[in-house]
Amino acid sequence: MSQAFEQVAPPVTATRSGGWLRPALVVVLAALLVLVPQLVKQGDVLNLCFLVLLYISLGQSWNILAGFAGQTSLGHAAFFGIGALTTRTLWTNGGPFIPALFLGALAATVFALIIGAPTFRLRGAYFAIGTLGMAEALRITISQTSPLVSTLPIDQIAGYDLAARYYLALALALATVGVAALLLRSRLSLGMLAVREDEEAAQATGVNPLKHKLIAFTISSFFAGLAGGVFAFYHVSYYPEAAFSPHWTFDAVLISFVGGLGTIGGPVIGAIFYVLVRDRLAVTLVDIHQIIFGILFIIVVLVFPGGLVEAWERLRKAGRFSRRGR
Amino acid sequence: MLEVRELAAAYGDLRVLWDISLEVHTGEIVVLIGPNGSGKTTFLRTVAGLHRPLSGDIRLEQTPIHTLPAHQIVERGIILVPEGRRLFGGMSVLENLELGAFTARARVKRHEMLKRVLDLFPILSERLHQRAATLSGGQQQMVAIGRALMGLPRLLMLDEPSLGLAPLVVQNIFEVVRDIGREGVTVLLVEQNARVALQLADRAYIVEQGRIVDQGTGAHLLADQHVRRAYLGYAPRAGTTTDRSASLRE
Amino acid sequence: MSIETVAQNLVFGLFVGSMYGVAAVGLSLVFGVLKVLNVAHGELLMIGGYVTFWLFAVLRIDPFLSMLVTVPALFLLGVVLDRIIFRHVTRLTGEAKIKNSLLVSFGLSLILQNVVIQLFRADERSVQTSYSGTGLTAFGIVLPYTRLLILVIALVAILSLHTFLQRTYTGKAIRATAEDWEAAALAGISIQSVYLLTFGLGAALAGIAGTLVSVSYSITPSIGLAWTLRALVVIVLAGTGRILGAFPVGLFLGVAEALSATFIGPAYRELVGLVIFLFVLLLRPQGLFGRT
Repeated sequence: MSQAFEQVAPPVTATRSGGWLRPALVVVLAALLVLVPQLVKQGDVLNLCFLVLLYISLGQSWNILAGFAGQTSLGHAAFFGIGALTTRTLWTNGGPFIPALFLGALAATVFALIIGAPTFRLRGAYFAIGTLGMAEALRITISQTSPLVSTLPIDQIAGYDLAARYYLALALALATVGVAALLLRSRLSLGMLAVREDEEAAQATGVNPLKHKLIAFTISSFFAGLAGGVFAFYHVSYYPEAAFSPHWTFDAVLISFVGGLGTIGGPVIGAIFYVLVRDRLAVTLVDIHQIIFGILFIIVVLVFPGGLVEAWERLRKAGRFSRRGR
Repeated sequence: MLEVRELAAAYGDLRVLWDISLEVHTGEIVVLIGPNGSGKTTFLRTVAGLHRPLSGDIRLEQTPIHTLPAHQIVERGIILVPEGRRLFGGMSVLENLELGAFTARARVKRHEMLKRVLDLFPILSERLHQRAATLSGGQQQMVAIGRALMGLPRLLMLDEPSLGLAPLVVQNIFEVVRDIGREGVTVLLVEQNARVALQLADRAYIVEQGRIVDQGTGAHLLADQHVRRAYLGYAPRAGTTTDRSASLRE
Repeated sequence: MSIETVAQNLVFGLFVGSMYGVAAVGLSLVFGVLKVLNVAHGELLMIGGYVTFWLFAVLRIDPFLSMLVTVPALFLLGVVLDRIIFRHVTRLTGEAKIKNSLLVSFGLSLILQNVVIQLFRADERSVQTSYSGTGLTAFGIVLPYTRLLILVIALVAILSLHTFLQRTYTGKAIRATAEDWEAAALAGISIQSVYLLTFGLGAALAGIAGTLVSVSYSITPSIGLAWTLRALVVIVLAGTGRILGAFPVGLFLGVAEALSATFIGPAYRELVGLVIFLFVLLLRPQGLFGRT
């Protein structure tokens, strides 16, 4: 019996228990999130919150392609990078930011559509290494064509507002999670899940695999591009190549898997966990969080495909049982 | 020698074997016949250790073997010639035969055994260094049987050795199986070609839908009405019961 | 541009290609026999390099001599990794097996990389022996001793592997398992043992390549991915059915990169391989040199 990829991980649809509780919680949560910059004055905590939100978008956007549609892409960094590069270039050359952000995401999506059809001919592991090769090729190209560090103009540095960055990341995280949730409730998700489980069988029942893969790919790359644009907005100076680094892909993969691939909550929990662990451990031991996450990741793939979301569900059920037993 | 009790096996959710119990005594040629998909191949694969049973047990000389991995079952002397030959196509005929003698027990005798195998199948002597994939179906079957013999089997199992082979070749193969049997190797044979198999057999079992529905000596089954109708191509005679199989199937 | 410059670059391409070849054969062996894609292969190579570096920096042992320690050490590491991690992956079959092995080895690559960072920090390290700069000159081409040794060792390693696979019982058992593991099991071959041994061999080859790399370039803990990709490129070019055939294709890649560097410019050297790789993956999946 295999693990992560033959398990029918059902999408987390709204459980009918506690009908009013969940939306109420969401509203309270959203209100708190919006108020964070007012409540939190220390820059480094706000920074941490920003990173959590950015990583939520990063993970969720990958989850849409890999978790819902079952296509393990290892080229996610390419879309993040294209979004970042386009946004940064347009913005630092005088253009208004928001249009630059969306043009960046659009550029990423166009790239996805161009390479999508040919690369989707590859299956499974070949798709993974093909997308990895593609992203690396792009990174190498960018490192040669744009080797110089990109720095914001002086007036932007002077007027740097972390709260604005935070709100942008919050909006993006809410949008990404929201779109993922909507997608899961739509008919499209049924097709995608069918393709994920068994592409041939899906085709036999009239589902068009390529169409569903491309749709997932488009949405995924669009939000990855937006995330890249947010990254470009956030950094005062950075090397353009950095946005194409494979570690963006790997972080997205880790977050989604450890959190719970194929669920809405997975990338959210995974991102929070990842950023917090990294932050806490960076004080003592640089990069040891990677070892921890590497181990967790292997455990999830081999033994516990539901990730943290599943662990949470199991704990809840166990709790309910013991209460009932009394 | 081999005792199988209430063996059950499945592929995932698909149950293939329900309740197989049979025996093979030393020196016998036992045959399993039955329609396609009745579980005969699954049975052999389970005995050979390629497949874990759901329940039941398999004993060789009283020792349970159904939990052992395939290579250890080979070490104990049960060797399967699988369906479809399954040669190492990219390797030479000689290498295929040599690999049959991989176990320590067989390795020491491999030079003698090689001569014996080439005596049984002289045509292979000319083709020793040819890539196995380039041989004809019949020659491949010879190599497959030869490879199994190189392992010094006490119980030789063959899965559909006549499949896809010309009648003359089939005859040759079965003569060899008979000779092997005469030399003291116990044989368990699964065959589509019921007539030839039953003529060869000391005893036989009929397997249908994962269950044993009948058993007896080769001669007895050759004369049996149900067997003749279902497997030997005889039309029912007037006045005989035609649907005996229904009563056996509950 | 003189013909000597071109020839010089070609020869260096050959030297580099021999390292690509050894790395690729290691990965190809594991993929061909276990049907498992180990993307942490580059990290094993990197560890080989660091073991060499450590033995050189701390114990002053010549990097080529220390291979007597490095190679068994990496073999052992491969055996351990198979036993504790990959054993759980080889239980699966087909596409799920390959995909899960890719994921698991990805996690492993993160772990290995960061363990090395913990031990050695992320700075660049290099192995400079007393004879590092010296060499012969023939027909106007400079042939450094270190590079010549690299080529010789690579060839010896590949030829040894070839002899082992072709002439020994165990080697043939490994080839048989690669062809049809069930039939191999039916011949009395312990598949678990074959997998263990093969994974160890793959790691050992990565270790050899790593030693060679540490002598040619400076190493950091992050070189793993680039080398895994190169090995993958070579395997895809050679066609996934070939194990030892990956070596000449590795040489080919080295030479192709060198030629492109000569005529197009050194900046896009790494790109050449990746572009050919993508082309082959999409349009000619049996590889440039594979049989259809």
